[in-house]
Amino acid sequence: MTLAPVTARATTTGAGPDGAPPAGTTDGATKPRPAARRPWRRHRREYLVFLAFALPNLALIAVFTYRPLVLNLYYSTLQWNLGSRTATVVGLDNYVRWFTDPRSLEVLRVTAVFTVATVGATLLLGLLLATVLDRRLHGRTVARSVIFAPYVLSGVGVGMVWLFIFDPTYGALAALLRTWGASSPQWYLDRDWALVMVIVVYVWKNLGYAAVIYLAALQSVPRDVLDAASLDGAGPLRRFWRITVPLLSPTTFFLLVTTVLSSLQSFDLIHVMTAGGPLDGTTTLMYQVYVEAFVTGRAGYSSAISMILFAVLLVMTLGQLRFLEKKVHYA
Amino acid sequence: MSTPRHPRTARTSSGLHVPALDRRSFLGLSAAGLGALALSACSGPSTAQGTGPSSASALDFSGVKPAGKITMWSNHPGGSQDVEKSMVEAFNASQSDIEVSLVTAGANYEEVAQRFQTALAGGGLPGLVILSDVWWFRYFINDSIIPLDSILETVEMDTDDFRPSFFADYQYDDAQWAVPYARSTPVFYYNKEHWAAAGLPDRAPETWEEFGEWAPDLAAAGTGTQKVFHYPDMAGYAGWTFQNNAWGHGGSYSDGWVITIDEKPVVDALEWMRKGVNVDGWAGVTSNDQATDLSSGAISATVSSTGSLVGILESASFDVGVGFLPGGPAASSPVCPSGGAGLGIPKDITPEEQVAAATFLKFLTSPENAVAFSAATGYIPTRQSADVSELVTAAPQIQTAIDQVEVVRVQDYARAFLPGGDKAVADGVGRVLTQDEDPQAVLTDVRKRLEDIYASDVEPLLA
Repeated sequence: MTLAPVTARATTTGAGPDGAPPAGTTDGATKPRPAARRPWRRHRREYLVFLAFALPNLALIAVFTYRPLVLNLYYSTLQWNLGSRTATVVGLDNYVRWFTDPRSLEVLRVTAVFTVATVGATLLLGLLLATVLDRRLHGRTVARSVIFAPYVLSGVGVGMVWLFIFDPTYGALAALLRTWGASSPQWYLDRDWALVMVIVVYVWKNLGYAAVIYLAALQSVPRDVLDAASLDGAGPLRRFWRITVPLLSPTTFFLLVTTVLSSLQSFDLIHVMTAGGPLDGTTTLMYQVYVEAFVTGRAGYSSAISMILFAVLLVMTLGQLRFLEKKVHYA
Repeated sequence: MSTPRHPRTARTSSGLHVPALDRRSFLGLSAAGLGALALSACSGPSTAQGTGPSSASALDFSGVKPAGKITMWSNHPGGSQDVEKSMVEAFNASQSDIEVSLVTAGANYEEVAQRFQTALAGGGLPGLVILSDVWWFRYFINDSIIPLDSILETVEMDTDDFRPSFFADYQYDDAQWAVPYARSTPVFYYNKEHWAAAGLPDRAPETWEEFGEWAPDLAAAGTGTQKVFHYPDMAGYAGWTFQNNAWGHGGSYSDGWVITIDEKPVVDALEWMRKGVNVDGWAGVTSNDQATDLSSGAISATVSSTGSLVGILESASFDVGVGFLPGGPAASSPVCPSGGAGLGIPKDITPEEQVAAATFLKFLTSPENAVAFSAATGYIPTRQSADVSELVTAAPQIQTAIDQVEVVRVQDYARAFLPGGDKAVADGVGRVLTQDEDPQAVLTDVRKRLEDIYASDVEPLLA
């Protein structure tokens, strides 16, 4: 962003090195003005200030983000047990191993179900809640705080509390179901119920984030457009679907990108509530990275899976930007 | 005609003007690059040919003075934080050369192991670390811990006094890699009131088949239980305790490094368990903790670690019976696997720290401290000379656990030595008991998984 002005000045002022007239200029006899160097000096100062501010951050990003990424790519080509001093270069064997392992398909299925369910439910319920909170109701401020609070709570703490609620033998939900003569599903033993449990808690925890963002967007929807539609005879539902929802599409797009990314990287709730079980029934791609590195100790294989996860995230994000952004209506 | 060019910019092939690199910039960038390279070199393995695990004879600690400070990493197994703290304080008060700090390095053995593995790469290793039965071998093959033979001699530790089966659990390649500490076995726990209500003799069943005959009586005794018996949860003990069933039927997970888990005796053992859960319905799998299920009266019997003994006795409102693990149709003894944790010393600390750790290790595992630790937790005293009279007076049930040590069997390699082997077996048991899958097909899958682990993660490092 700082280079363009330099180029422009260099060509428009026509000054050569040390202020000498550039060769080939028609007014080569023109004496260089002393002020000609000032913009560059000023620019250089700005450039140094820019470097002073940016370099520490760039260095941190390079060391703590890109360096691990590059090292991870290298480790993914190794047969390396975590903690071992030595490793063997195996090329793409770790990738081949993952793509040919039948369990990988199950991990992808769990990841897809978890992501679609959590993102879909978070956006849908968040929009509904925001719509409710967008009205003039008593206690609206308190309700907003209550709904947003779970988002800022620790995932570990949330997981622990919900574990007690879901406990099929001693839990609050089981006790409630017993009063109705029903028995609790085996949340901890049945793969499908365990996945449902984790999805419910994840949505509960992240709902407030979507609701607050949607609420802010709802409040910026032009009232005159809605009033005009109302005068034209459009009912509340028609106004919502034909005007409000399209005008919220930039917000929906933003939430879609961010919630998909956070859902695919979800770890704390799964770790605390199910540890990926039972029988890998809640093991997502992200959790498999952890299991392979720290439970089975296959650091090289785990690195390969994390590169695959990185590729999935990249493709999904680029896909969203490439295809879904076209559907977005910017007011 | 030359292109006008600013002295501080250069044009790339794409026409973009970029700042020219002067000497100062070059030096700055070079320094940054070297820094990045230095950082990159800080971690990661070498791809050069390794030298393999340490040799026991290569270490000589004679003349090495102990370091002034070390840490001990523990997860405080069996709720032992208070007793561990008091033992550390007693050691620090008993001498002035070494100061030990107790560090809570995780909530369980796995978390300690993860932290230890991270420290192996990043530094900050402890002097002494707790190693579970399924983790120490990984550290051996990764060359992360030292053989203790010579250092124990240096600090004049009496190793003959350890219970032989516990001490032998940490031997491989003619060397000792850890010392027994929080050692346990599974035992059979039962509710004596339920036993009486069902008209059963006050003892644990001698075989699982006998218990299968008792189960209908217990279910019909009107004790209000959800199930007669709960198997341990899959993520916890399943891979450990299933060895008992397999051995009782005459099978094993492995014979040395040969995986035998899908042979008929093991399949028969798992099929018997499947019937109890999915056909007869008197047995189930705990969704939480089988020891809690027993002490709350939700079940009549279970199998759990001796490390759960104190907790069960404290929380149960009924008389708790404790017995040997039942045998099977092929064998009644030895069918009890050893378990629990030992203590090891990392390789990548100074010899002075290693000697300090060994000195503290000698104190920590003394007969007196072994009894104190057992009294607080229910773990079995690791020393033969330990005076257990007070322990048995306070909790007579622990005598059964101590007696059972005489008939323990060293665990199969497939569970104890293969990284992730325990999880592979537990997952297989879980698929049969909770998903009602075919035992033969499941155990064949498990065998393949275990063989894959051995071929990729162990065999190359043993070569």
